[in-house]
Amino acid sequence: MGQSATPHSSAPDLRVSLGPLHLANPVLTASGTFGYGLEFSDFLDLSRLGGIVVKGISLKPRPGNPPPRLAETPCGMLNAIGLENVGVERFLRDKLPPLRQRGAVIIVNILGNTVEEYAELASVLSGVSGIAALEINISCPNVKRGGMAFGTDPHMAAQVVAAVRARTSLPLITKLSPNVTSIAEIARAAHDAGSDILSCINTVSAMAVDPFSRRPKLANIVGGLSGPAIKPIALRCVYETVRAVSCPVIGIGGIQTAMDALEFLVVGASAVQVGTANLVHPRASLHILEGIEKFCRHQGIGAITDYIGTLDTACRFPFADESCSVEPPAREPV
Amino acid sequence: MPRVQEKAKILESHKEAEGTYRLVLYAPKIVPTARPGQFVMVRVASEGADPLLARPFSFHRLHKEDGLCEILLRVVGAGTRLLSQRQPGSSVDVVGPLGRGFTAPTRSDETVVFVAGGIGIAPLRALLDHLLATTHKGHPERLHLYYGARSASELIALHDLKRAGVVSVVSTDDGSAGERGTVLDAVQKRWNASSQMPNRLYACGSLPMQVNLARWVRRRDIWVEMSLESMMACGIGACLGCALPAVDPEDPQAQRYLHVCQDGPVLDPKRIRWDKVQPLIARPLISASL
Repeated sequence: MGQSATPHSSAPDLRVSLGPLHLANPVLTASGTFGYGLEFSDFLDLSRLGGIVVKGISLKPRPGNPPPRLAETPCGMLNAIGLENVGVERFLRDKLPPLRQRGAVIIVNILGNTVEEYAELASVLSGVSGIAALEINISCPNVKRGGMAFGTDPHMAAQVVAAVRARTSLPLITKLSPNVTSIAEIARAAHDAGSDILSCINTVSAMAVDPFSRRPKLANIVGGLSGPAIKPIALRCVYETVRAVSCPVIGIGGIQTAMDALEFLVVGASAVQVGTANLVHPRASLHILEGIEKFCRHQGIGAITDYIGTLDTACRFPFADESCSVEPPAREPV
Repeated sequence: MPRVQEKAKILESHKEAEGTYRLVLYAPKIVPTARPGQFVMVRVASEGADPLLARPFSFHRLHKEDGLCEILLRVVGAGTRLLSQRQPGSSVDVVGPLGRGFTAPTRSDETVVFVAGGIGIAPLRALLDHLLATTHKGHPERLHLYYGARSASELIALHDLKRAGVVSVVSTDDGSAGERGTVLDAVQKRWNASSQMPNRLYACGSLPMQVNLARWVRRRDIWVEMSLESMMACGIGACLGCALPAVDPEDPQAQRYLHVCQDGPVLDPKRIRWDKVQPLIARPLISASL
């Protein structure tokens, strides 16, 4: 592995296992950026991807927030869609069957206003064939009830995960919010409550203002920042999460290229989700997958699992002492 | 209709009016199935992440046999400025054809009115070309174009349409060309007193213009389609960002939204909750081309 390895002639093994969830490759699409999958079927073969995480589904249809819902920011975008979706009934009737037909590995992102709503959704979706896993959304910044309210309190997060766990045997992914003081604390709570996998991060709570009209650019005033602007934040969150828990982690946040995805994998994410890049380039997820494959060949990496979590944090400074370690030294009380 | 992503070559770039440019794109995979009223998402930056998002542009003219299309762009922000500076010979990433286009008339005896405010001429021109070549070939006098702008410098010269026989009425806010006043003033002046209404009306322009026009047509028996604009991220129905308040026929007070990229951009104004659109006007237009 690494620089000294010789290029591989055979196709690299890109299979990854995230606890009970086994994927053909580590590239998934992020919820809210890939519609119900079908929107992208003109552009790419959905079965090529490791999996697709569909738009967040609630028990009842949700109309979403008033417009304007979008604003562009430097190297990113701000949204306050407000979890608009068709509801679980229409999802199962209209969206899931054609998606299943296309051979996609389907992960359903679920959301509710109450703990019981999450649990009921899990129960409804458990018996349905063709759903590979559930992703629990406790991190959306754009809704008043549910969403981030659950994801920023470790006790609430644990309650939601435990309630969902009790109602399904499907692999569970909990999507974490970066809008917390310690993501490690929430990660531990979700894992301890029964989440098999953690995904991080959801969007970063943010704001944009028009100086001429003196008004916020979103009707919701604040929204969720995504895109390349948040990648460094996401990487740090993944780094902290993989060190805090023993379960697999999926990296999300500003991944536009294969090199971006590889950064997350080397830090320790077992898979990645491509988000805003899908909106800019509908074939982005496939390009990223092809780029990872090319990278592995070029670097002589036979299996992507040999590469995951190989971040080298050793200090190279020749006069290194403890103050140069990755862990900051404990501060003396002032 | 399949949607395609392709690298489109910029063949020509012309300054048409103050701040308005016309780009001729070679997009042979997209153009053959494109219809007037549909649009493309054009990624302005070929590399890098700023500006990040692609911008939606209606087809201004379609030359199907040559695989060419023209788009009009008004420079209002960094993205459109960059695009206006792109040189012929360079390429842009384009996704299309997207959205619902216009429903064209089927009979040559229909009187058709076009109401264009500023850059709103963009999609209407494609439809005018189409009608001049099909239903209204030989009857251009039944096509009436009302075209308004803030001043003469912002008007695109449409001599060829006049030469083709289309009835054209120009208006400017400052009176520097045509009649002084808004394009809606001109429409009302001609049609308010008329005993006979046009059969169809197609419109595209600023949000205030569309709101006022929707109010005017609501009381009249005219078949209307409007091409609407909204901030978009994807253009293909995935992000759901381009929402507009919509009428729910079963429950007038219900909170419902249409999505400009999928349900539109061409929409029947009766489907829009214009009272809910009003607050958006108080802002400077959150334009897709910003």
